[in-house]
Amino acid sequence: MVKKRGLSIRYKFLLLLTSLPLITLTAYLVLALNIFEEDKIAYVFDSSSSMSGTMATQIKTQLNGVLGTTKPIFQEYLNQGRFSSVSESIFQNEFMLEAVVVFKPENGIYRQVALLEKIPNQTAQVLGSIQRQMTNYFTEVEALRRLVKVPFSDDRVFIFERVTDEANTRSTVFLVIAKMSEVSEMFKAGVSQKMYLIAQDGTVLFGPDGMPGHKLQNAVTPAFLTRGNAQQVAQGAETARAANGTELLVSYSKAGFGDLTVVTTVQKEKALGAMQILIRKSLIFFGILIAVTVILSLFASKGLTGALTDLFAATKKVSEGDFNIRVPVNSTDEVGSLAENFNTMAAEVARLLDQTAEKARMESELQTAKTVQETLFPETRAQIGPLSIAGFYEPASECGGDWWHYCQIGQKIFLWIGDATGHGAPAALITSAAKSASTIIERLNISPAKALELLNRSIYDVSKGRIMMTFFLASFDLDTGELVYCNASHEAPYLIRKGEGPLKKKDLIPLNDVNNPRLGQARDSLYEQTTVQVEMGDAVFFYTDGIPDIQNPANEAWGEREFVKALVAANKDYPSVSDSVERFVVSFQAHRSGAALVDDVTFFMVKREAVL
Amino acid sequence: MGKLDVKLNKDAEKLTVEMNGTIDEDVDFAQFDLSGNSKIQVELAGVKSINSCGIREWIKWMSTAGGAQIVFNKCPKVIVDQINMVDGFLPASGKVESFYVPYYNDDSGSEKNVLFRYGAEFSESSVTPPENVKDEEGNEMEMDVIESKYFKFIKK
Repeated sequence: MVKKRGLSIRYKFLLLLTSLPLITLTAYLVLALNIFEEDKIAYVFDSSSSMSGTMATQIKTQLNGVLGTTKPIFQEYLNQGRFSSVSESIFQNEFMLEAVVVFKPENGIYRQVALLEKIPNQTAQVLGSIQRQMTNYFTEVEALRRLVKVPFSDDRVFIFERVTDEANTRSTVFLVIAKMSEVSEMFKAGVSQKMYLIAQDGTVLFGPDGMPGHKLQNAVTPAFLTRGNAQQVAQGAETARAANGTELLVSYSKAGFGDLTVVTTVQKEKALGAMQILIRKSLIFFGILIAVTVILSLFASKGLTGALTDLFAATKKVSEGDFNIRVPVNSTDEVGSLAENFNTMAAEVARLLDQTAEKARMESELQTAKTVQETLFPETRAQIGPLSIAGFYEPASECGGDWWHYCQIGQKIFLWIGDATGHGAPAALITSAAKSASTIIERLNISPAKALELLNRSIYDVSKGRIMMTFFLASFDLDTGELVYCNASHEAPYLIRKGEGPLKKKDLIPLNDVNNPRLGQARDSLYEQTTVQVEMGDAVFFYTDGIPDIQNPANEAWGEREFVKALVAANKDYPSVSDSVERFVVSFQAHRSGAALVDDVTFFMVKREAVL
Repeated sequence: MGKLDVKLNKDAEKLTVEMNGTIDEDVDFAQFDLSGNSKIQVELAGVKSINSCGIREWIKWMSTAGGAQIVFNKCPKVIVDQINMVDGFLPASGKVESFYVPYYNDDSGSEKNVLFRYGAEFSESSVTPPENVKDEEGNEMEMDVIESKYFKFIKK
């Protein structure tokens, strides 16, 4: 089942490479902007405080200057009860002064008692226009002793100075009207920041156009104005929100002259205008950086993800059964190694699959060969005239190199047993050749020696000396019981003479009077034969050398001694060939205990029975 | 190192070949040159087994000795069995100088290989086994072979 693919690793890689600097730079920007903002605000506070402080000092200096000029006039008036010519002269020479007016209380109301003015009758007109405020001014000056007012929206400053006698019983209020054009202009001149000269109640004395005479609270209400007089400090800074909602940076400095305070306000947005520029430029820089990162990431990821994409496509092919797919190895890093290992793995899997297919084919062929070879063997039980036959065959693998056979030619029974060099398929092929040749040889009705000569040539021609066979061929005469045999280096069969008592080991007679070269050893070998008489009740045990080699699960061979013992035991009472073979099989199977055979096991027994 | 260890020792009189191990299809006798010797003495006491493929290689190897007189010493049972069974295993110019005969005692299970030497226990056509063969505990042992089969090569 093919799982749905998620986001491509290339895009993940791209996302990682771009998001990492993006997040980092954003965090850096936020942090930097915060610091920058704080620093900028501190700087603005510092500079505006400095400016308000400077202005406060200048206001104080100028007002003190005015008072310093008028003090002798005051003093002379208090001493003489009128303005002298000296006072007149001082007044006329001070260009800032417009008028000096003296008030004294009379029945609780201050009344004008003396006047110095530059322009005649002007003062009376001015004071007449502010008659009502004057009452308040006198009330205030009663409490504060010194008062500064700017009742008109111009540069004229009204300085009220209350002087008392030593007993503090009689007060005299001097009003000095002075023109402070420069100071007034300075308060109007502010562009990026606004500057106000205010009284304690917030009334603006000097300030931008439209503000003098109004309360500062109409524009902004700094916190210091709401605090009591005792809690006010000489200088400070704060943020405040203007009436129109604009956030302002406010700094203030007390002038130290009357209740005057210099206030400067700066719009926070304008003060931090540089920060907006920084943000804008940073965003442009970010944009460029991200674009460059994306482009570089695309190039960088192509190398990595390209190889992985190739691998992905290759594994998909493999999952579809194509193991011949290979991926290019373009690097020596881990991805390159991965590609190399994939190629090795795919090649190995392909090889193993081929091997498995080949093995399956060979096993199938071997199975067929086994089936075919089984047809080469005769029935394991037979009775031909007086000769009874019983045999057993089990190959060590699918195909064996052992072969046994019997056939009747006239009055003779030919008994064949052979063992090809080794075992398995090559040996089985030789036994097939032997079987084929024997089929023809049987028809020739010739002696065992001649038969083996022909069989030898046949096998030699087939194997060219590479595979040989030991062979034993005997012909049993049904009429006379004469057994003619020829041995080609095969295990000599045992003749078991029917005796009176139980069979003993010494009663086994090996039929080894003649021996000849193995079949296939040399093409023109000559073979000799001999004859032995088989009496009624006598039996002959034919076998191959795989029997003593039978091993148990502990790899212990049965051995010749046990083999002979089992053979003697199986024939102790001269049983039928079937019983003898069954007993013998039981014996070696007991030793074998299910272990695999190391060599083919073949044997058969013939017995001359009484003619029925 | 293969399953068969072969040592050659050549002196003025003869070539001595000492063999230990298993003779099978893996053996490569071609590396042990037998040619050019008038007498070859083969010590076989250490041979443990031989199979049909080993026999084929053995016969081919022995044929390379030419007309040399080959003497086999201390042939174990596995070799004697092949000498008796396989025509040509013992070369025409070959002679068994001594061989082992296995004995055993069925009751005690003891086994022993008794060396039969030419001129003592056997000659050209006869075998004279020792009168009594006993194991270490003094039990009488019997021959663990079928004599008519095992001594067949002597009576050829």
